[in-house]
Amino acid sequence: MRFLIIIALALGLLTGKVTGQESAGTPLDEVSFFMTFVPNVQFSPVYVAEAKGYFAANGLSVTGDHGDEPVGVDLIAAGERDFGLVSGEQVLAARANGRPVISVYEWFQQYPVGVVYPEGGDINTVPDLAGRNVGIPGRFGASYSGLTALLDAHGMTEQDIDLEEIGFNAPEVFCAGGVEASVVYVNNEPIQIAHRAEQGDCGEVTSVGVFRVADAVDMVSNGVVTSEARVTENSDLVRRLVTAFDAGLRDVIQNPAEAYILSADFVEGLPLSAELHAALEAAAAEQTAYRGANPDASREEIAAQRVALLESLQSEFPSDELVQFEVLLSTIELWDADRLGYADPESWATTQDVLLEMGYIPRESDPSEAFTNDFLPE
Amino acid sequence: MAYGALFMHLSDLTRRTAMVRAQHETPAEPGHRLHVPRLRWLIPLLAFLGFLLLWEGVVRLELYPAFILPGPGAVAERFVQVVGDGTLWPHLTTTLTQMLLGLAIGAPLGVLMGVLLAKSRTLEALISPIILAAQSTPVVAYAPLLIIWFGSGITSKIIIAALTVFFPMLMNTMVGIRNVPQSRRDMMRLFNATPWQTFWKLEFPASLPVLFAALRVSVTLAIIGSIIGEFISASSGLGYLIKLARDRYDTPLVLVAVVVLAVLARLAYWVVTVIERKVIRWQRTG
Repeated sequence: MRFLIIIALALGLLTGKVTGQESAGTPLDEVSFFMTFVPNVQFSPVYVAEAKGYFAANGLSVTGDHGDEPVGVDLIAAGERDFGLVSGEQVLAARANGRPVISVYEWFQQYPVGVVYPEGGDINTVPDLAGRNVGIPGRFGASYSGLTALLDAHGMTEQDIDLEEIGFNAPEVFCAGGVEASVVYVNNEPIQIAHRAEQGDCGEVTSVGVFRVADAVDMVSNGVVTSEARVTENSDLVRRLVTAFDAGLRDVIQNPAEAYILSADFVEGLPLSAELHAALEAAAAEQTAYRGANPDASREEIAAQRVALLESLQSEFPSDELVQFEVLLSTIELWDADRLGYADPESWATTQDVLLEMGYIPRESDPSEAFTNDFLPE
Repeated sequence: MAYGALFMHLSDLTRRTAMVRAQHETPAEPGHRLHVPRLRWLIPLLAFLGFLLLWEGVVRLELYPAFILPGPGAVAERFVQVVGDGTLWPHLTTTLTQMLLGLAIGAPLGVLMGVLLAKSRTLEALISPIILAAQSTPVVAYAPLLIIWFGSGITSKIIIAALTVFFPMLMNTMVGIRNVPQSRRDMMRLFNATPWQTFWKLEFPASLPVLFAALRVSVTLAIIGSIIGEFISASSGLGYLIKLARDRYDTPLVLVAVVVLAVLARLAYWVVTVIERKVIRWQRTG
């Protein structure tokens, strides 16, 4: 198995190296960084931190790779990966099963799961889902935990709905009429479904709404995770990684146009025509100038800038070219907070309660041991 | 699993080669041959015990954390637990059902298409490019589409299992029928046999050894196909159980499901071998 792990690591080094630079004369600490799924614009804080040299400035040479979340957690717990972007309930489940992992930076401030439904029909509230055919990727992971919490918040259980496992195919199955509603990531699939509906490619659905888990219950979501050993034995490394990631995240939130352009070097096939590139470049420069002139701009003002940017782009470009940019903007809403990276003990306790109720973890433990705010930049 | 199937296939080839060689070699003295069959049953048992000892040794040396590689004792304990509380059975029966139905659909269709292609060069020229293209595309690449088209229930898994079985059966049927010696065909022609008689009395029986060899591989492939489907989207089955156990960081349960799958594959292989011995006894006896 170690041989396989070494092979996997070697492949990661060959294919996923996100940095090759070395700051002048100073050797960088090699750090491996695990991400789920495949390269995606949602990982733009990592790409921006790399492209703008935040990792290197913190003495780090980061190698990224992607895979299944439980595998990544095991690799982190075993010390085969240094860090990873992992969801909170996975951290709790892993810890309950002997994996010494800990969340050191809360990346998502809002739980990203929700239930998408067709607007203008019989479904208008969560209780309307009773007896309906609802799709879900599977009875596992954040989708299942989120659905359980959402239903519970409305006095319902899984038995009240007709839950069907459809894999990660919600847009296809939903638009083909295979399900009446579907558990989705609110920053992604609803945009794709809405885009299809707009093009008349989603059956009778013309627009969609989303019941967001975050509106009903405050559960912990994805964060930067490492091993307890790394925290105790090399806290300086953890601090530097978190500092670089935080800088990347702030840049994405404040200048998504720039982040999108930089992400295109890491995400194969990210839609970026020459015209869109030019428009985003101009918008990025404008945003940089705005930030220079308004260093104390509030979150709301910056959020309004993002909305204005999207509206401006929508008037110039076809919607299919903007889908991924919309996904990025929608995801930023889930990251943005007054205090980036801060983990709220309450949300960890709530998440543990949900997992206990689901039977996902066998026993109660101290959820405060699953995370730390000690490494947040000042 | 794929390696398991390949290994079984290679073992089978080795066994057959040994049989052919034995037919051409000078028979050993009767006294020398007596001990071998008596001890042969011990060999796999010793190999299995050796494997368990090696596994336990690696665990005791603590080369890996227990959450990555639990010992055989922990896995056995989990096995007893999931058998006792009834967790395992629904998953086992789901995979078994998918595998058997996939085999029942894919194997006859493969044989039928193989016969048609073996008989008609025109049909072969027409269809073989498509078949070659489909055969060389791993089913896992298009399995997600099958799940979307046929739903996440048992139907899509049966279709995936049937597809994994279909191509080896088809190719081996073609090979089996076309390898019938020309002299025997001439003999049938001499007796004014009809095409159906030639097929039924000569070509089909003559290709049975090849067909059974394909069937032995196909039963394990049907399990692989079923597991592929369960990995993509399912609510039951051993593949789903593995996925669920991984998601819950229950490594002993992952290994329980893997071992059960291996045993299932070995049993299915053995059943086909037994049927083969019964059906084509005539060939062995000469």
